[in-house]
Amino acid sequence: MSLYTAATLAAGHLFPGAEDIPFDDKGYTTVNPILPPWKELVPGTMASILVFTLLAWKAGPVIRKSMQDRTKRIQQELDDAASAKTTAESEATRIREAQGDIDAERARLYAEADAQAEALLADGRARLATEIAELEARAEADIVSAAGRSSDELRLEIAQHSGTAVDAIVRDTLDDAAQQELIENFIARVGASTGATS
Amino acid sequence: MSDAMIEGYARALFEVARAEGTLDEVEDELFRFARSYESSDALRKALTDEHIPAEKRQAIVEDLLGGKTTSTTIQLVSMVVGSGRSRDIPAIVDSLVQRASSAKQLDVAEVRTAVALTDDQQARLKAALENATGKSVNLKTIVDPSVVGGVVATIGDTVIDDTVRTRIEQLKSRL
Repeated sequence: MSLYTAATLAAGHLFPGAEDIPFDDKGYTTVNPILPPWKELVPGTMASILVFTLLAWKAGPVIRKSMQDRTKRIQQELDDAASAKTTAESEATRIREAQGDIDAERARLYAEADAQAEALLADGRARLATEIAELEARAEADIVSAAGRSSDELRLEIAQHSGTAVDAIVRDTLDDAAQQELIENFIARVGASTGATS
Repeated sequence: MSDAMIEGYARALFEVARAEGTLDEVEDELFRFARSYESSDALRKALTDEHIPAEKRQAIVEDLLGGKTTSTTIQLVSMVVGSGRSRDIPAIVDSLVQRASSAKQLDVAEVRTAVALTDDQQARLKAALENATGKSVNLKTIVDPSVVGGVVATIGDTVIDDTVRTRIEQLKSRL
């Protein structure tokens, strides 16, 4: 049995119970509605004092220690939070600095890339211009060559046809009289000369 | 055939013709036959075909020349064909002509024309060539349609060319 239960039973035996309080015929007491009757007030107060005293005696140190531990814990948490805040601020500063570095690096890379792109573009333009010039020169040479070749081929063909035509015409026109005339001319020319002709 | 063998045949033919007393005629007939041989593919094939017996090839020669040349010419050509030397007929005959001309102290003048020359033209041409070269010539005429027109004369290393063929070739070159 706990101490509180024992005190309550003892108080009940020492002081009379509520069943001894008079009631009127309307069902409620005529005593003070706020304060209990003296028979209850004194033992109740004593019991309460006893209970609170026991509580203060037995549970007080535990509660105080618990509260102190809780305070320490909260303080520790506050300290940790402050430390974390400091660390976070430091980290934020570092990140901001890194951000600044990244921005600078990005700007530098962009500038470098722009410069390289410009150089490549300029180089490409120059190479393209050179290649175009070479292609044009080659094309012109090819055209001239093709024209010359065509001209040569045409000339050769004309010469062949002309030769064939001349051959045919001469053979057709060389009748017996012409043959005799050629022979007589040869004899006359050779007879008139005094040296060999080759 | 080696040059020595050709010379041997030529000397033999020369000696036979001279011994017969028909050197001029035989030389001229052989010369004409050699030129015909050169210009005729059919004759060349017939006389050089190893599958045709020698007797038959000799018979072809006799049929071809019979009644047109002296018997000495026929016998000499037949002898060369019968000995399997048909391919060398032109070289043998040219050597014979050269030998005959040398014997008469003449230079061979080979003249090619598109149409045959008359005797008068041959005589005048011979005189003209002798006048031009200062040499006595043994004129050998060849009808060669490939010259087209005009005359080309060859005397040793000297060539007098006035043919239409050459003029056409020159014209073609210029074209």
